[in-house]
Amino acid sequence: MAMRSQVYAWDASNSTTAETLAVGQKYSIFIGGVGNNITKPAETTATQFVVIEDVAVSGSQMGIANALSGADTSNGIAGPRAYGQVRINTTDYFLDPDNIGNDGIPGTASPYPRTVGLQPSFNLYPDVYVLPGQTWDILYTHYEGSTTAGSGGTAGEHVAFTKYTLYDGPDALIANKLLEMGVSVNPGNVDWYKRTLIQGA
Amino acid sequence: MAMRSQVYEWANLSVGAATSSLRRVAGATPTAIAADQSVDIFIGGIGNNITKPAETTATQFVVIEDVAASPINGGAVQVRINTTDYFQNPDVTVQAGIPGLASPYPVGCSSDGGTTSDQVLSSFNLYPDVYVLPGQTWSVLYKPRTAIVGAGATSTCVACFVKYTLYDGPDALIANRLLEMGVTVNPNNVDWYKRTLIEGGSQ
Repeated sequence: MAMRSQVYAWDASNSTTAETLAVGQKYSIFIGGVGNNITKPAETTATQFVVIEDVAVSGSQMGIANALSGADTSNGIAGPRAYGQVRINTTDYFLDPDNIGNDGIPGTASPYPRTVGLQPSFNLYPDVYVLPGQTWDILYTHYEGSTTAGSGGTAGEHVAFTKYTLYDGPDALIANKLLEMGVSVNPGNVDWYKRTLIQGA
Repeated sequence: MAMRSQVYEWANLSVGAATSSLRRVAGATPTAIAADQSVDIFIGGIGNNITKPAETTATQFVVIEDVAASPINGGAVQVRINTTDYFQNPDVTVQAGIPGLASPYPVGCSSDGGTTSDQVLSSFNLYPDVYVLPGQTWSVLYKPRTAIVGAGATSTCVACFVKYTLYDGPDALIANRLLEMGVTVNPNNVDWYKRTLIEGGSQ
């Protein structure tokens, strides 16, 4: 199983203890101490290569006229106004045009879950590569909605999702080689490189 | 990380009496925008702004791939490179740009802010992309046809979204080279050019 499609879903309400999800603060969806977490930071070993293909967070409706909507939108927004940033080691991937790290992909542009009324405007292309030995993270930030998480939090209010492909062992070596060659790392190209090796032999 | 997918989201949200804020802030409420007022979403003094105009350095190349706006109040978005508006009328006069109804943000939102059950989908795909060459300044301008009401019971939040790819360092040089060759600048073609360089160097 040298190339594997992987997913990770996070829900801030998904833990047995009550927690606080402060507004405007970045929380790691892996080890942030809120919701379902894992045991250690997400990192690649020397024989692993990760390609992050999608990041999505709680969606929000913007462009709402309060007088018309009848919804609970005191500021014209329905939803947590959430964002997801990718961090590789200590570097934020998404920057503002003045080259300062921002909050990342808006949930309004890349909502999770997708609905008829809230569809994605964003496609993570080119993909994000996590090279062998690097640590990576997805950071969740919200500016509206509840600050109560864990037990007592509303299920599904603060959620995040990432889809990535894990290349392991020989396929990670091939992924590195493709990167050196300037070829996009995806399962099709890894298979193509294997075929060229076999044909060459 | 020489080719990076980037996003920028703007909303007419600010705190208290201020009409704008540096980056996003919590507890923000909508700010009023006059009818036909053109607002620079980066440094326009309304909503979340950044520290300086969006510009490329000598070693950067930007490809704008998507621009979208709230369809409510007849909102539209225009791309401006240096002092030139990208979208023009057939008689080469100024226009507001891409209507939010054609390129809504978010996709699937209501066309009138909540009273109808319609879900607006994209009619528009920004292709060919818009290139921002090294050393150029660019901006995205939001313009509503009717006034946006600020904080209060009848306030309206509007937003814009830009998706672009930033080519930096050697990849920006390759992007320039592709432009000279008349080849579309996208990640695949930059990778293709790298491969041709490597193959040429190995022979």
